[in-house]
Amino acid sequence: MDALASLAQGFSVAMTPTNLLFVLIGVTLGQLIGALPGIGPSAGMALLLPVTFGLEPVTALVMLSGIMYGGMYGGTLTSVLVNVPGEAASVMTAVDGNQLARQGRAGQALAAAAIGSFLAGIGAVTALVFLTPALSAFALGFSSPEYFLLALLGITATASLGTGSAVKAMIGATLGLMIALVGTDPIQGTSRLTFGSLELLEGVDFLPVAIGVFGIAEILVSMEQTQASAAVRTRLRDMWLTRKDWVECRMAMLRGGVIGFVIGLMPGAGPTVAALLAYVVEKKASPHPEKFGHGALDGVAAAESANNSAAHGAMVPMLALGIPGSASTAVLLAALVLLGIRPGPMLLTEQADLVWGLIASMFIGNVILLIMNLPLAPLFASVLRIPYSYLVPGILIVSLVGAYAISLSLFNVGLTLFFGMVGYLMIRADIPRAPLVLAVVLAPLMESSLRQSLMLSEGSPAIFVQRPLSAVLALLVIGSLALPLFNFMLARRAARRAGVAEALSHSSD
Amino acid sequence: MIPSRAARPLHLRLKHAALAAAFGAALVAAPAASHAQAAPTGPIEITTGTSPGGTPDVLMRRAAKILNEQKIIANPLVVQNRTGGSWMVAANFVMAKKGDRNIVLCIAQPILTTPITQGLPTLYDKLTPISMFIQGDLVLVVQPDSPVKDLKQLIALAGQRERSVKVAGAQSGSTDHMVSGLVEKAGKVKLNYVPFDGGGAAQAAFLGGNVDLMTLTPSEALPLVKGGKARILAILSTERSPAPELKDIPTAKEQGYDIVWGQAWGLAGPPGLDAETVKFWDDAIAKLVANPEWQASLKENFLRSRMVPAAEVKPYMQKLHDEHLALLRDLGLAKQPAVQ
Repeated sequence: MDALASLAQGFSVAMTPTNLLFVLIGVTLGQLIGALPGIGPSAGMALLLPVTFGLEPVTALVMLSGIMYGGMYGGTLTSVLVNVPGEAASVMTAVDGNQLARQGRAGQALAAAAIGSFLAGIGAVTALVFLTPALSAFALGFSSPEYFLLALLGITATASLGTGSAVKAMIGATLGLMIALVGTDPIQGTSRLTFGSLELLEGVDFLPVAIGVFGIAEILVSMEQTQASAAVRTRLRDMWLTRKDWVECRMAMLRGGVIGFVIGLMPGAGPTVAALLAYVVEKKASPHPEKFGHGALDGVAAAESANNSAAHGAMVPMLALGIPGSASTAVLLAALVLLGIRPGPMLLTEQADLVWGLIASMFIGNVILLIMNLPLAPLFASVLRIPYSYLVPGILIVSLVGAYAISLSLFNVGLTLFFGMVGYLMIRADIPRAPLVLAVVLAPLMESSLRQSLMLSEGSPAIFVQRPLSAVLALLVIGSLALPLFNFMLARRAARRAGVAEALSHSSD
Repeated sequence: MIPSRAARPLHLRLKHAALAAAFGAALVAAPAASHAQAAPTGPIEITTGTSPGGTPDVLMRRAAKILNEQKIIANPLVVQNRTGGSWMVAANFVMAKKGDRNIVLCIAQPILTTPITQGLPTLYDKLTPISMFIQGDLVLVVQPDSPVKDLKQLIALAGQRERSVKVAGAQSGSTDHMVSGLVEKAGKVKLNYVPFDGGGAAQAAFLGGNVDLMTLTPSEALPLVKGGKARILAILSTERSPAPELKDIPTAKEQGYDIVWGQAWGLAGPPGLDAETVKFWDDAIAKLVANPEWQASLKENFLRSRMVPAAEVKPYMQKLHDEHLALLRDLGLAKQPAVQ
């Protein structure tokens, strides 16, 4: 096998003591950076770019990419423990992971996330080994029409995200879409709803919204409760993943991993979208969808598996074509350029040692991360044994410093506090918060790809069904809208047959 | 201008250094100690408005590395990314640091264009100019299987039906957009410009065969050409590039269309920066530009480093601004009132 021989060659490159050391440094830093809200992996990688200057290209790359996927593991930590997403791709983890933490199951959530990330990461690297050239052609099949339909699919799925009424979920999503309108029009370049503010010119950053709506709002609500929320009392040994948990999660990891990888392939979607869609799909596939939003372990597993495999999937267009599929791979590309290597379609053949060394290092890095995360999960989780009232100041500081770090300005700190208020009001009004955050993530992609599609087709909406991939996605969108309606009608007919129409008219409002 | 008391010895020393260089002393190895006194104290921030990894960010990091490693500047140079508002967050940060000797701003195109497209007061004439010292070319590429063989055929094709030729590029008002506008103007045609979220996304759309035409830098275009994924129609410089990979590519001018556009980067200080610090930078950049490592690293990426020194940079920026303003106004993107 050609690929296997190349991979063996890659391992011989990656296994040198220096490279091993830098993989370790990279993933450890990634873990830390991922855990800190505000500084995402891409910013962390960029900060450390100058450090790599004196290094061999392959050493520099294995370290930087270690930060990239290490960040996917680290982001779980703060999401689960304090309900503040450490980086954007962990938003869905914050939703269910934190609920689990409150039930004293933080250890399981962290362990499921670590194992899911590991398996998905290894799976994704394996796919990288054998399929990179073929997949890169597939990745290019995605363009604006497909992105639009993908984002639309995400938005229609938000209706099912809420735990209560679909209408309230849609209210949340609509609020999110409205927030996303602020900023510069992606096509015309004119400013919208910025009220003359320069800071708003590039729109509302996703992180202040997520940190505020999840983290700060949670703190505000907790202040109302007069110390009812005592510390979670669990023993260390109750925090391991049980066999039952594993059975519950394994399919979620598989589905999440596959979805994440496919979405990671597309330049322009990224790990955040991957995690969101994996979560939504998992909710549909799960035997207990009602648990989602209240601490579903398989939801955490799916989202975390997806974001890690998406981070690896984004390497495909980068290595095979020289196109950055995400902010992190853009920094990797910049590092290549800085090291005097020109990325592009010829990279795979011209720099085989570098590429295969990098791929081999990702196997090693994922193993290191698993070793680092799995035994330590209960330890990290025991942070929650500290009474919440003592944790609050810490959470607040971490949140606000994170918000400041986004652009080194106080504006985002104010914005975070503002969204904390919004989140608080949403909790009070019982409007689910995840759809809002999801809409903020998806709206820019949805808007610009819709308008790009129509420009490409010179105004004809047929572009959304003419292309094979978009036709499939369009069917999925229609299906996701029609299925609940169909189910509802079936249920009503069945109810009528059973002669309980009266009862239904009561329950339907 | 009367040099201050502190500046006088520096002045002499610099003259001395220049003289030494003229007599054949190795310019590169000139020790930084000779003007250490005039240097600002402490670390110096180089502010950029792109996120990490963007071209200006990469260039500034590379410049900072060589300036520090070659001991041209002893102060630690820190490249800081202050993103937001299409460079306006970075620019305003520096604008507010009047006379601060420990900060400089990377000058890139948005410093000129964002005020024009957003109707804000101009910045280039309020900052203290230091130097523009990096230049880059642009090329026009088409699909490898495109029937279009040269610029003339492209214009002919575009002339057949308005907006039938699709162009991918970065955001509205970006370099790509302006080049598309120049092609429209030179060929008296109307193109279908589709803005994407940055150059990478536009490139993906091009490689997926969704558009016909795109503007790239040579370092982006050549690997694609080598991989059979694009064909270069023209280089948009005044003369052909001397680089062996590019020397056979005709300029747009040769093909009868006056389309000349490029990219330029440099540094400026906050408003009211003292002449001494400007001189400090001017001197350092002159040494950087003469550094073989710097030149080699730019050459690899088909960039050039010709220095527009502090003494000449003001009219240069003025000209650059007026060109951008005129073009953006043609594209209907300028909100700024005309410069009379």
